[in-house]
Amino acid sequence: MRYYLRKLAFYGAALWGALTLNFFIPRMMPGDPVDILLAKLQQRGANVGPSARRAYELLLGGNTNDSLIHQYFAYLGNMLHGDFGVSVSDYPTPVATVISSSLPWTVALVGIATLLAVLVGTGLGMLAGWRRGTWLDSLVPATTVLAAVPYFWLALILVAVFAINLGWFPLLGGYDVSLSPGWNGAFLSSALRYGVLPALTIVISSAGGWLLGMRNMMVSTLAEDYVLTARAKGLTGRRTMVWYAARNAVLPSIAGFANSLGFIVAGSIVTEQVFSYPGIGSKLLEAVQNDDYALMQGIFLVITVAVLGANLLVDLLYALVDPRVKANG
Amino acid sequence: MSAILEVHDLTKDYRLRGGLRRPVLRAVDQVSFTLTQGRTLALVGESGSGKSTIARILARLEKPTAGRIVLRAPDGTQVPGRFYRDHVQMVFQDPFASLNPFHTIGHHIARPLRLHGHDRAQTARQVDQLLERVSLAEPALARRRPHELSGGQRQRVAIARALAPGARVVVADEPVSMLDVSIRLDVLQLLARLQREENLAMLYITHDLATARHFSDEILVLYRGRVVERGPADEVILTPRHPYTKLLAAASPDPLARGRAGIGPDEEIGDEIDAASAAATYDHYTGRWTRPQA
Amino acid sequence: MTDLNADLAAPRPRTGRRVLPRWSPKLAIGVGIIVVIGLWGLLGPFLVGDPEAIRDMGLTAPSRTHLLGTTQTGQDVLAQLAYATRGSLFIGLLVGVMATVLSALFGIVGSYVGGLVDEAFSLLSNLMLVIPGLPLVIVISAFVPASARGSWTIAVVLAITGWAGSARVLRAQTLSLRNRDYIQAARVAGEKRWRVIGVELLPNLLPLLASQFVFAVIGAILSETGLSFLGLGAANSATLGTMLNYAQNGFALQRGAWWWFVPPGLIIALFGCGLALVNFSIDEIINPRLRDIPRRERRNRRRTQRPVKRLDDGAVLDGTVLDGTVLDDAVPDGTVPDDGAVLTVRHLSVTYRTERPVHAVRDVSLALRRGEILGLVGESGCGKTTLAYAINRLHRPPAEVTSGSITLHDRDGEDLDVLAFDRDELRAFRWDKLSMVFQGAMNALNPVLTIRAQLDDVLTTHRPSMSRGERHERCAEALRLVGVDPRRLKAYPHELSGGMRQRVMIAMALLLEPQVVLLDEPTTALDVVVQRGILRELLRLRTALGFAVLFITHDLPLMLEVSDRIAVMRDGRIVEEATAEQIAAEPRHPYTRHLLDSFPSLVGERGAFIRAGEDERSQAAQPPAAASDDGIAAEAETR
Repeated sequence: MRYYLRKLAFYGAALWGALTLNFFIPRMMPGDPVDILLAKLQQRGANVGPSARRAYELLLGGNTNDSLIHQYFAYLGNMLHGDFGVSVSDYPTPVATVISSSLPWTVALVGIATLLAVLVGTGLGMLAGWRRGTWLDSLVPATTVLAAVPYFWLALILVAVFAINLGWFPLLGGYDVSLSPGWNGAFLSSALRYGVLPALTIVISSAGGWLLGMRNMMVSTLAEDYVLTARAKGLTGRRTMVWYAARNAVLPSIAGFANSLGFIVAGSIVTEQVFSYPGIGSKLLEAVQNDDYALMQGIFLVITVAVLGANLLVDLLYALVDPRVKANG
Repeated sequence: MSAILEVHDLTKDYRLRGGLRRPVLRAVDQVSFTLTQGRTLALVGESGSGKSTIARILARLEKPTAGRIVLRAPDGTQVPGRFYRDHVQMVFQDPFASLNPFHTIGHHIARPLRLHGHDRAQTARQVDQLLERVSLAEPALARRRPHELSGGQRQRVAIARALAPGARVVVADEPVSMLDVSIRLDVLQLLARLQREENLAMLYITHDLATARHFSDEILVLYRGRVVERGPADEVILTPRHPYTKLLAAASPDPLARGRAGIGPDEEIGDEIDAASAAATYDHYTGRWTRPQA
Repeated sequence: MTDLNADLAAPRPRTGRRVLPRWSPKLAIGVGIIVVIGLWGLLGPFLVGDPEAIRDMGLTAPSRTHLLGTTQTGQDVLAQLAYATRGSLFIGLLVGVMATVLSALFGIVGSYVGGLVDEAFSLLSNLMLVIPGLPLVIVISAFVPASARGSWTIAVVLAITGWAGSARVLRAQTLSLRNRDYIQAARVAGEKRWRVIGVELLPNLLPLLASQFVFAVIGAILSETGLSFLGLGAANSATLGTMLNYAQNGFALQRGAWWWFVPPGLIIALFGCGLALVNFSIDEIINPRLRDIPRRERRNRRRTQRPVKRLDDGAVLDGTVLDGTVLDDAVPDGTVPDDGAVLTVRHLSVTYRTERPVHAVRDVSLALRRGEILGLVGESGCGKTTLAYAINRLHRPPAEVTSGSITLHDRDGEDLDVLAFDRDELRAFRWDKLSMVFQGAMNALNPVLTIRAQLDDVLTTHRPSMSRGERHERCAEALRLVGVDPRRLKAYPHELSGGMRQRVMIAMALLLEPQVVLLDEPTTALDVVVQRGILRELLRLRTALGFAVLFITHDLPLMLEVSDRIAVMRDGRIVEEATAEQIAAEPRHPYTRHLLDSFPSLVGERGAFIRAGEDERSQAAQPPAAASDDGIAAEAETR
């Protein structure tokens, strides 16, 4: 119980930290984002009233008479209501709507790809560590090349080979635009086909890291006394490998998930850009290019919340796979 | 024969993690003793008895929760705290862990010398002298690194390091328990010889009753942080009065005790000491039982 | 605390910590790649033409004049590549240094100082770790006007968002190092705090710092490339990322201009790969277990890290040099058939096939009679554990049985040749006929499985016909046998005390009622009182169940009490074997005598031992603890 409370408190603090960071960054930077934003809005024919201006000032700072503290709490209030203002690039859609329409794409893509990468990586890592010194193990150094490849460059190469040269997969986008999005077979299969290359990019470049980590932990774990005991007990190789070695070796990978997730999110943003995937990464860059600060801030917060949520989930799961954490708090 | 180090009512509490109440573990409970020139006091107990905590407090690696430690100069005046480490040094249990793998043997002995006021030229000479005194006269040993030495050699280096600042009090925390059995006595003999030569006061911490009896003059038996029996070494071991000391003595393997019904008599060894007797202390000097005031 | 022989239990690299990585093909290739790319970045710009020069030959394929072709505007790709490599390496190095300094500050200093500082630093680095880095960098970059975005700005931003992960790694390592005895010893010597950190602690963290630096460089180059590719990099900078950005905007991909977008990515990938290969070698210093097999220092098991070792100190006893000589008539030659033997080992030799082969077990013959306890006594590195493992065929390469035989004489009269078993026969033999209890009770149980699961899988493997209920009953019964409450089946190992865990191990060893139990220092790590309780239990069970025990230990006095016969082992050989009474009364080999003398008697004479203050002390000075006090004492005792 204590473990769960501590985790919840930590992620609460992390969320608060991110919100605060989000509040102060635009205020600390040179330039006046509100004016730029409002100028853009007017270009698009928006009728910018004082209330809209005030909302942006709360978000980004600027010429306001309120004290910083007052601004801060008003800003927190807006954030908690999900009120991020109106997007410039997709005027007049509210930021919240833009985010909620693109978020599912990213969550599905990154979620599935990460899951695959983790399964493939740790699975192969387990085998490589178990069969140490065999051909499988000798492939391990090669995976470091994959881990060192920039995501988007790998994406470019995949596009060049599979989309342009071979024509197996579509070049850009998230689905066939002639279809209307919905829960129907045609759309889903199209989305799947469009998702293969982006997902493959993420899997190929992140699986290597999982593989290496798992392999090294397997090697360390195999020297533990309990693995020796399992062998002395005459257990089958499979049971020893899975329940004695891998079961313990996987723990640091899970505990270090937070570290990996940062890389994955970073990679997927750039990958989405290459594929013009209709996810949140593309939107973020679109926002950056259009000086759409409101959207940018909103997306940053949403990504942060998603990452914090995923980490929290993994931490909570960790308590289930390692009985020791609850005892140690 | 003058007292060097007086320890009065030493107490150490550890706060345990977990729970809002933060329970407290009393590792050392009002332990008092005196270390005297040229004599050895043994602290005997099992794991969790608090004996290593006492060593760490005496070495100033930890602060006591309560109690006083008074260090006396030869003229009987109290030594100020900042000079404490010139006088009190420690030999650690694990010779494989107590020497920095990165540094040479020479570094380990030269540093304390330099810290305690020797100049460079003196130091170089002194390092060789010290190594010789701990029977490590091999040439060029000072330039080697710890991993090139055996466990026994390492422990000798650790002893030389403890002597380097000219210490008058040596705290030896299980100095031989990690060594191979065949060299343990040699290292203990070395400590005994140095003690005679330097007239050192020694605190010998061990779980081994046999070496405690032979190596020391006086024994304190610790149980859960408290002294349960104290007295001259032979008396405590040969005529133990406290049930815990009796238990320890009965459980210790003894080469002369072959055929003790295979293994110690069941009825004599209760695995638990009841709380009332655990709280009592037998003092062989006064011949009295004492209990802490409730 | 009272771990008699923990030097055998704890993994301890015998070679000590290396400062420099071991030279290997991996390292050579890695360093080679780094040097070539580094030189290319350093010197390349002097060798190529103007990267900005625009020519009227857009997007031409590689040719003799332009080795890597040209860009859309006719710029030489090779020239651009040289400058871009320099730019990327510069950023990588800059960020690498800054991030490592930050992580060292927060990770090492924080955790060494401890207390509130550590709590605060640790919270900060954990927060930085969970807040996604690149989106933050993008947002920050977006707010900084392009004109103000110099290389240094980008580097600082990348360093600030990139140090947290390695700070956490360094913190964990520092926490473990700061409690090492050598750090404590430096403090006892009176070293100042900064000197303890800088001179005693930091050198031992160097491999880890180096590895974190390498990670930071890779990470920084990748991040900067990503940023530049998105058009958010440093203004007016030329890096591999900006090159790719131009290539993307120039539709290099769609036009098939591979020479434009492939080389920059390849350079990054190769450089990252080179760094990663170097990191492999650094990892092997940090964690010696990861070294490639076969390796010189690797022994079969870490317990036998010193397979052959002379007595290092005090090798001279009574003027007689103790050597490895064997008293022929005191050692069974193994050819004599032993009545009622359950296990016979004949002329067994085990060798570690390392660069310099180590003969850990040499021509050992032993016979273990049914139901007897045979003590195998020796010091660390004498080969006793290697012998035990070989009997169960648990030894792993490079250890190898080079000669001899191991025979188990089964209850039903069949002789089983252990060395001839195939894989499945061996698996069926283990634990069923012969089980083992290891020294590290703390580590011999799998920490993430319940006691029940670990007892149960023995039964599911060896007694597949048993039902779930029967298995449960059998497990509970086994625990009751060793005096552990069957409710503990639900417990995890960390919930049990050390003595309890070793009892569980013994219950597990007896689960299938084997004919032989190998005990490898089963009680060494335990307190004497707990040890005594467990041994008593074991002897009782031996009488009740009739299994034979091969008891491996360094504790000769204990063996004299417990065992029927004792074999003394030294340098891989059995130097003497006799009944416990004979060993106690008239040891024949000088080494046995030396071992016996090494244990002073608790109640007997002092022997060669001299108490330091002996001569100065007058017994009479002590107050007598005699009759007069007994009344008081007795009164106190009866209360």
